[in-house]
Amino acid sequence: MSLAEDRRRVTFRLQALQVGAIVVFAILGMSFWFLQVIEHKRYEELAENNHQRTLALRAPRGVLLDRSGAVLVENRHSFTISIVREHSTDLPRTIRLLSQVAGLDPKQVEQSIERHRSEPAYRPTVIVEDASLAQVAAVRARRLESELPDIVVEEVPTRRYPADALAAHLFGYVGEANDSQVAGGAAQGAIIGQQGLEKAYNDLLMGVDGARVVVVNSLGREIRTLEEVAPVEGRRLQLTIDADMQRAAEDGFRHAGFNGAALVLDPRNGEVLTYVSLPAYDPNDFAVGIERAKWAALNSDQLRPLQNRVMQGRYSPGSIFKIVVATAALEEGLVDPDFRVTCNGGATFFGRYFKCHLKGGHGSVDMRHALEKSCNVYFYTLGNMLGVDKIHKWAEKLGMVGKTGIDLPNEQDSIVPSTEWKRKRTGEKWYAGETISVSIGQGQVAVTPASLAVMISTVANGGTRVTPHVIKAVDEGNGWKPVPAPAVADRVAFRPGTLAALHDGLWLAVNGAGTAGRARLPGRDVSGKTGTAQVISIQGRQAARNSGRDLRDHGWFVFFAPKDNPEVAGVIFGEHNEHGYLGAPIAKHLIETYFAKKEGKPLPVLTPAAKPEPRDTPDPDSPPVLTDSEVAAVAGAGSLAAPPLN
Amino acid sequence: MFERRLYFHVDWALAGAVLALSLMGLMQIYSATGGPTSIYVTQIYGILLGLVALLVCLAIDYRTLVDKSHFIYGGILLLLLYVLFFGAVRGGSRRWIDLGAFNLQPSEFAKAALALVLAKFFAEVRRGGLTRSDFIVAAALTAVPALVIARQPDLGTAVTLVPVCLAAAFVAGMPMRAIGILALAGMLITPVAWKFALQDYQKERISTFLDPSQDARGAGYQQIQARITVGSGGLWGKGFQKGTQGQLRFLPVAHNDFIFSVLAEERGFAGVLVALGLYLFVILRSLEAATLAKDRLGSFLVLGVLASFSFQVVYNITMSAGLAPVKGLTLPLMSYGGSSMIATLAGFGLILNVRMRRFTN
Repeated sequence: MSLAEDRRRVTFRLQALQVGAIVVFAILGMSFWFLQVIEHKRYEELAENNHQRTLALRAPRGVLLDRSGAVLVENRHSFTISIVREHSTDLPRTIRLLSQVAGLDPKQVEQSIERHRSEPAYRPTVIVEDASLAQVAAVRARRLESELPDIVVEEVPTRRYPADALAAHLFGYVGEANDSQVAGGAAQGAIIGQQGLEKAYNDLLMGVDGARVVVVNSLGREIRTLEEVAPVEGRRLQLTIDADMQRAAEDGFRHAGFNGAALVLDPRNGEVLTYVSLPAYDPNDFAVGIERAKWAALNSDQLRPLQNRVMQGRYSPGSIFKIVVATAALEEGLVDPDFRVTCNGGATFFGRYFKCHLKGGHGSVDMRHALEKSCNVYFYTLGNMLGVDKIHKWAEKLGMVGKTGIDLPNEQDSIVPSTEWKRKRTGEKWYAGETISVSIGQGQVAVTPASLAVMISTVANGGTRVTPHVIKAVDEGNGWKPVPAPAVADRVAFRPGTLAALHDGLWLAVNGAGTAGRARLPGRDVSGKTGTAQVISIQGRQAARNSGRDLRDHGWFVFFAPKDNPEVAGVIFGEHNEHGYLGAPIAKHLIETYFAKKEGKPLPVLTPAAKPEPRDTPDPDSPPVLTDSEVAAVAGAGSLAAPPLN
Repeated sequence: MFERRLYFHVDWALAGAVLALSLMGLMQIYSATGGPTSIYVTQIYGILLGLVALLVCLAIDYRTLVDKSHFIYGGILLLLLYVLFFGAVRGGSRRWIDLGAFNLQPSEFAKAALALVLAKFFAEVRRGGLTRSDFIVAAALTAVPALVIARQPDLGTAVTLVPVCLAAAFVAGMPMRAIGILALAGMLITPVAWKFALQDYQKERISTFLDPSQDARGAGYQQIQARITVGSGGLWGKGFQKGTQGQLRFLPVAHNDFIFSVLAEERGFAGVLVALGLYLFVILRSLEAATLAKDRLGSFLVLGVLASFSFQVVYNITMSAGLAPVKGLTLPLMSYGGSSMIATLAGFGLILNVRMRRFTN
């Protein structure tokens, strides 16, 4: 091969290499064109997803204030520790390390993750709510060493309720949205009101969550904040509640040593001044996600702390119902206040003997004194004259049938029977004899404490059935805007004689020879009426003696003050306290507190009182001994005597 | 030794392109490491020392260097063996000689040494074509350092020696039939190599390349991230030091193996085109030098030096775009690495040398 030939071949092969290089670089250029220009959008998104994290900033819920501006419910900062599965490279290792660092049970951590497995992996799974500072510090230290890139510690606003579970059932509680709430539009993992005010006014209270977009590096450490949308705090609400009266009422119950319920209204407009249901739960437990054991204990507690007795407990009103019968008889024009009945300790209706509580009888009594002394025979007579349907009609006008319409969730219907009601319920006709028991609040009358508060308010204000409500004003960001009181449910102008007779009778019950002397307050003209709600009949009591149930009767006290132009009205329900008059001191303390506050005087202080001395005379509110057939009737309606669940 | 008139024959365009690429790399290192770090400073020293090496390689007539190439080759081989037993260990492999301020990586210099010795060998074969025995000798000259380097282990660098041999042989006149046989043998050997020669981690890298999502957090991670890095750069890039993928460490060794990805991210397709253009220019200009060379010796030498350079450039850039399995192959002139920079610039000293002396006797 010649040198020239060799030379040519070298040149040719070098040219081939040149072409090859150009082709290869053209392909490279096209590849980059494809990746960087054609597919750019897709990769840009992936890159953003890599380094940008959107963290939700939970909005603080609206603060709740009492009627004079004192803070009742506010927010505090708490820390949550969560795992973001999206960033987990080694989840079991993270669980192990986290459990070790924060002192948790790895099994429970696993369970928490398992429960939220179906949620998207980028959503933090909360492992520790309301973490202690020690836990937060320990986890943060590990995070700095980049050992736990999938752990986030967030500071979140958490509800702070007053100590001592004050007004717990009024406030209700918050909790993570459940499945049906999520289906109804709530964000997954959102904290929303589950009971009480928190539930009823959730939309106002919730606010709008914000978001923070942060840049993180490959280890998940936050480098800087890209943008931040601040959360919008929920609306502040001013309640109609008076914090001092609320406290006074709860102190009163504690002082008296029984549980129960109290609802105090301003009879002029239906504003709720006090709302008590005892025993209560601590809403603070729910604010940080209640522990399973605590929840189970609350549910299985025989005293039923979760029950909102004010509007979910239904009880027999007993002698309180005599006010309704008196109103009905007067307004129907059947009798006037001077109508007199002679009580000989009992009377016979439809061949059956119905007892009065005073063995010797009250003698001849008029309406005022019948109310004062709670004479059964007088009201048997009125009831018999009225018939059950007229009683039902006036019970409804006074607010004791159905719901009161209070702006809180899950209210129970109150029941006062009528012929139609019985026919619908059992298909049987009403027997006139049943009316006799109804006229003293026995039989199938079952009402909530709330309905009694409305009833006594209606009596107090002269016939206007107000709707109880708890919100006075809303802060819409630019100052307080008053919330108008809900429409009046019904308005009946009582005949002047009716009002005077009722007020006089109820005034006498407190200030005369009546049963409620313990509520007497000089100069305040407290008026009221006691009553006893039978839990079980005397015969039934024998049978159920060993059942372990608390069979003692409930006591009622309804009141208003002052007698003329009343400003407060309400009900005290004493659970198993046996005597209605034991609730009177609580009412007295409340009324004292109300006027002390109004007049700028120091608030009254409860002084330990001596144990109530046993009385020789029978309690006038005690239910009369029933005849056998009535026992059967009451036993049949036994579910009414025991407060229905839910 | 350095005659005045030679100055006028220096290929300033090639030298300028090479320097431009080095400076582009330096800027990306600055960006990727977050400022004037020790890595950045080391790279500056690497470039300066490299320029010295380039001048040295330019000053001495390449024919003299080729003539003495067996000493250079032997010396490098000794260094490689020394490293194998006494070298500094980093990241599980023994590749470096610890010189205190500097870690010298002899394998980088093995490429140039091999180019020299093969140029000498092929130039001395004065027959019309290469015989089988010629080729076996050339293969042996390549295999010895390659195997030693592979033992470090540094398979990436070892593999870069193969193109040196192939390119030199190709231009030296390897018959087309032999090229065909070689290609066939390569294909047959692949499964055998897969089974016996490759380490598990190497197999894993290749298998995850074929399906990156099978191990999105492990070996496939870098490949996916490389593609995201490049793709998110777009037409104009995110701007100097504004790349999120590199800056936030989603892409590892951004100043080293993946420097081109970071360039693509921060400078966009525009920057990529500039860099690709410069590399292509360097390669074509070097091929031109091979064509212009006064003698076969010069052509072979240029081809030998250029082959490993081009191979590395093409492979690394392909890998940077997530289009090739991740291998520890750096991008010559741009990636961080003092030894690589010095050896590469020295290599271009040789290429410039051949072109500069095309008229001398």
